[in-house]
Amino acid sequence: MTAAIATSGLVKTFGSTRALDGLDLTVQAGEVHGFLGPNGAGKSTTIRVLLGLLRASSGRANLLGGDPWRDAVALHRRLAYVPGDVELWPNLTGGEAIDLLGRLRGGLNQARRAELVERFDLDPRKKGRTYSKGNRQKVAIVAALASDAELLLLDEPTAGLDPLMEVVFQDVINQMKAEGRTVLLSSHILAQVEKLADKISIIRLGKVVQSGTLTEMRHLTRTTIEADTTSPATGLDRLPGVHNLEAGDGRVRFAVDGQHLDGAVKALSQFGIRSLTSHPPTLEELMLRHYGDELAAAGNGAAGDSKDDGDNR
Amino acid sequence: MTTLTREPAHATATPARGNPLTGTRGLIRFILRRDRIKLPAWLLGITIFVFYYGAALPQLYQTPDDLRVVSQFTEGAVGALLSGPGYGLDNPTIESVIVGVYGLYFLLAVALMNILLVARHTRVEEQTGRAELVRASVVGRHAQLSATLIVALAANVGLSLLIAGAMAGADLDTSDALLFGAGVGAVGLAFAGVTALTVQVTEYSRAASGLAGAALGAAYVIRAAGDMITEGGSALSWFSPLAWSQQTRAYVDGRWWPLALSVGFAAAAAAAGYLLSGRRDVGAGLVAARRGHPEAAPWLRTPVALGFRLQRASLIGWGSALVALGAVYGGITKPIVDSYEDLPEEMVDVLGGDPTRMLDGYVSTMGLFDAILVGVFVILGVQTLRGEETRGRVEPVLATATSRWAWFGGYLGVLAAGAVGLLLLVGLAIGTATAISVGDAGYVLDTTASHLVYAPALLVILAIAALLFGFLPSATGATWAVLGFGMIIGFFGPIMDLPQWVHNLSPLEHVSRLPLDDLAWTPLVVLTVIAAGLAGAGLAGFRRRDLDTK
Ligand SMILES: Nc1ncnc2c1ncn2[C@@H]1O[C@H](COP(=O)(O)OP(=O)(O)OP(=O)(O)O)[C@@H](O)[C@H]1O
Ligand SMILES: [Mg+2]
Repeated sequence: MTAAIATSGLVKTFGSTRALDGLDLTVQAGEVHGFLGPNGAGKSTTIRVLLGLLRASSGRANLLGGDPWRDAVALHRRLAYVPGDVELWPNLTGGEAIDLLGRLRGGLNQARRAELVERFDLDPRKKGRTYSKGNRQKVAIVAALASDAELLLLDEPTAGLDPLMEVVFQDVINQMKAEGRTVLLSSHILAQVEKLADKISIIRLGKVVQSGTLTEMRHLTRTTIEADTTSPATGLDRLPGVHNLEAGDGRVRFAVDGQHLDGAVKALSQFGIRSLTSHPPTLEELMLRHYGDELAAAGNGAAGDSKDDGDNR
Repeated sequence: MTTLTREPAHATATPARGNPLTGTRGLIRFILRRDRIKLPAWLLGITIFVFYYGAALPQLYQTPDDLRVVSQFTEGAVGALLSGPGYGLDNPTIESVIVGVYGLYFLLAVALMNILLVARHTRVEEQTGRAELVRASVVGRHAQLSATLIVALAANVGLSLLIAGAMAGADLDTSDALLFGAGVGAVGLAFAGVTALTVQVTEYSRAASGLAGAALGAAYVIRAAGDMITEGGSALSWFSPLAWSQQTRAYVDGRWWPLALSVGFAAAAAAAGYLLSGRRDVGAGLVAARRGHPEAAPWLRTPVALGFRLQRASLIGWGSALVALGAVYGGITKPIVDSYEDLPEEMVDVLGGDPTRMLDGYVSTMGLFDAILVGVFVILGVQTLRGEETRGRVEPVLATATSRWAWFGGYLGVLAAGAVGLLLLVGLAIGTATAISVGDAGYVLDTTASHLVYAPALLVILAIAALLFGFLPSATGATWAVLGFGMIIGFFGPIMDLPQWVHNLSPLEHVSRLPLDDLAWTPLVVLTVIAAGLAGAGLAGFRRRDLDTK
C-alpha cells in the first residue's frame, strides 16, 4: 500500500503558539483514518496545511504524491474537503453553493448529487443564512461527497447533524470505503470513529501521541481482568505490568498492561479459574488517558482557545 | 468576545420583569468598553481638524485678500457641489471659511461615525450571533438598541462640545462655536436615527450600513443640487439633513432653529426603528429571505463568475445610484450656466473667462467627484473580499482546484471592470443630461471622456488595496487614506499651497482634467503600469501567505 498522506516533523507556528509541533502522520491509500484529539490539539491546522491553505513552518508533508503547498491546485482536483464550521454565501442557495464548489473542483457527479440531497433530506432552495447549523453542514458534505475525489479530508464533518443523519453519513462513508477512497476523518464522536476507522491517530499539543488500529492501541493499554478463583490468588502484585489489584473473598480484579496480559493470565490460572471476564479498554478510556494528561497539564482545559474574530463588518 | 459573556452579568443587577429596557445600563458599559479606542479616536480625529484649520488657515491666508481667493474658488456651482450654500463667503473670515468651505466634511465624517457605530452594536451583533448570547440573559427587547442610541447621543453631544472647545482652543472667534459644533452633532444624531431604522430592515449588517450610507449619499446629492440652483440654497436643499446644519449660518447670521428639524428627524427615525424592531425576531430582517434556485446557473462555474456573482448586487446598486446622480447633476447645468451669465464681467474673468469654459470646469469637477465615488466602490469591494476570507468562505473555494491566483486575480478583474463600467455609466448619464439641459450634444462625449480618463488612477487605488491584501491583509482599510488624501488634494489642493511633490503623491492628480485641459496620455500609461505592478506584487504576496481562517 502507498501512503495517501505522509507528514514528518511538521511544525506550524502562529506567533508564539506552536499549533503543530513535529507532527508525524501517515494515512495509507484506501483506509479510513480517524483523527482524534482534544480541542486545540491541531487537527484543523493539520488539515489546512494539507490543503495548502496554511504554509508549514518546517517539516515535510506529502499528499497523494505531491507537495500540498506547491501543487495545491493539481492535488485539489483529486480531493474534497468538509470544513468543521461551514459558512455559506448569504445570497446563494445551498444548491448553488454545491454546484459552484463542485464545478470549481472540476465537475461533480450529478446522479450522486441528487442521491445525496435526497438521502440527507436537504432543501437546496434555501439561501445560505437561512440554513440551520446542521443543514449548512449537510451542504458542505454533499458538495464534497458528490465528487469523484479519491481523498476526502473531513474536519468534524458531522458536528451538528442529528443521529439519523449521522447514520446516513456512516453509510455513505462505508460506501466510499468500499469504492477504495481514502478518508481522513477528524472527529470528537468516538462511536463514529470506532465504527468507521481502520486506523486511528491521536494528536495532542500538535504531536501524534499514538497511532495504529484500534486493536493495536488496545494492546498498548491496560485490560481489566475480573476473576473468581478456587484458591485465593496471591502474589499477583509482584507480576510486571499489573496495577490496581483488588483481591479478597475468592475474587480478584486488576488491570494489566497489554504486553503482560499473557503472563498475568498464566499466573492467574494456577489458582483455578472459575470465571473470568476481561474488558479491553474502550476508545473513551484510550482517549481519556491523553485528554487527562492534557487537562492536568493545562490546568483544566485552557489549552484550546478560540480566536476573537474582531468586529469587522 | 470574552467580556461579552461576562458583562451582561451586570445587567442582572436591575431585574425588572417584562421591562424591554432591562439591562440597558450594563450594555452601555459594555459598548463603551468595546469602543474604548474606536470612539475616542473618531471624536478626537474629527476635532483635531478644527485645530488644524484654525492653525493652518491664518498661516496660509494672511490677508483678507488671500481669503477672498479661497471664497472665490468656492463660488458658484462647483463650490455649492463641494462645500455648501456658501454663507458669508463674500466677506470671508477664517471662521466662516472653516464652516462654509470645510464644514461639510465635518458633517460627512460625523454621519459616517454614527452609521458605523449604530450598525456595529446592533445588526453586526445580530448577524454574528453574539446578540443571541446577550439577549438570552436578562436583557430586554429594546435594551441593545437603546444602549446604542444613548451612546450615540452622548458621543454627538460630546463631539459638539469638543468642536466648540477646539474653536476656542485654536484662538478663533467663539461667538458661534457652539452653534457650529451643535450643527455637526445634529447631523450625527440624524444618521444615528436613520441607521437605527435601516438595521431593522435587512438581515445583513453590510446591507444595513449600505442603506444608511445610501441615505447619506442622497442627502448629499439633494443638498448639492439644491445649493447649486440658488446661492444660499433653494427649497430643494431643505430636504436634506446636511442642509439643516448648514442653514444655521454659523458665523454669519447664526440661528438655532434649523437644528430642531434634525432632532425631530432623528427622533422620528429612531421611533420607527423601535417600532420595527418590536415586530421582528432576533437575527431576522423585515423581509423574509426568498427561496432560490436549487441548482446553480450554468455560467456560475469559474472564480471570475463567483466574483461577479458576489459583486452583482453591489454593481446594480452603485450603477443605479450613479445614474440617478448623473441625471440630477447633469440636469441642473442650464441654471448653473445661466447664473454665470448673470455674473458681472470682472467676476467671470476671475473665474476663468467665458461662461462655456465654466461649464467645462463643472464637467471636469464632476469627473473627479465621480471618480472618488467609484473609488469608494473599489475599496469596499476589496474589503468584501477580505470579509470572505475572515468569515471562512474562501476556505472551501481554495480547497477546490481554484488557484489563489485565479481566485484573487479573477475578483480583482471583476472590480477593475466594474470600476471602468461605473465610470462609463455615470459619465454617459451626466453627459446625456448635460447635453439635453444646455442643448449641446458634444457634451455626451466630453463628459464621458472626463470620467473614463480616471480609470487608470482608480486601478492604482485598486492595486494598492490588492497589495495590502496580499501582504498586510488586516490593513486593507488603509487604502481609505489614499482615497481621502486624493479627495482633499483634488478638491482643495489649489487653495492649500502645498509643494508639488505632495500633490504628486495622489494618483488622481496625474489625470488630465477634461475637457478643460488637453488629454495627456503618458501619465495614464504610467499609472496603468504602476497599477499592474502593484497588483502583481499583491497577487504574489497573497500566494505566499497563510489564509486567515475563521
Ligand atoms: N490563525 C491562527 N492564529 C493563531 N493561533 C491559531 C490559529 N489557528 C489555530 N491556532 C491555534 O492553534 C492551535 C490548534 O488549533 P486547531 O484549530 O488546529 O485545533 P483543533 O484540534 O482543530 O481543535 P478543535 O477540536 O477545537 O476543532 C490552537 O491552540 C489554536 O488556538
Ligand atoms: Mg478544529
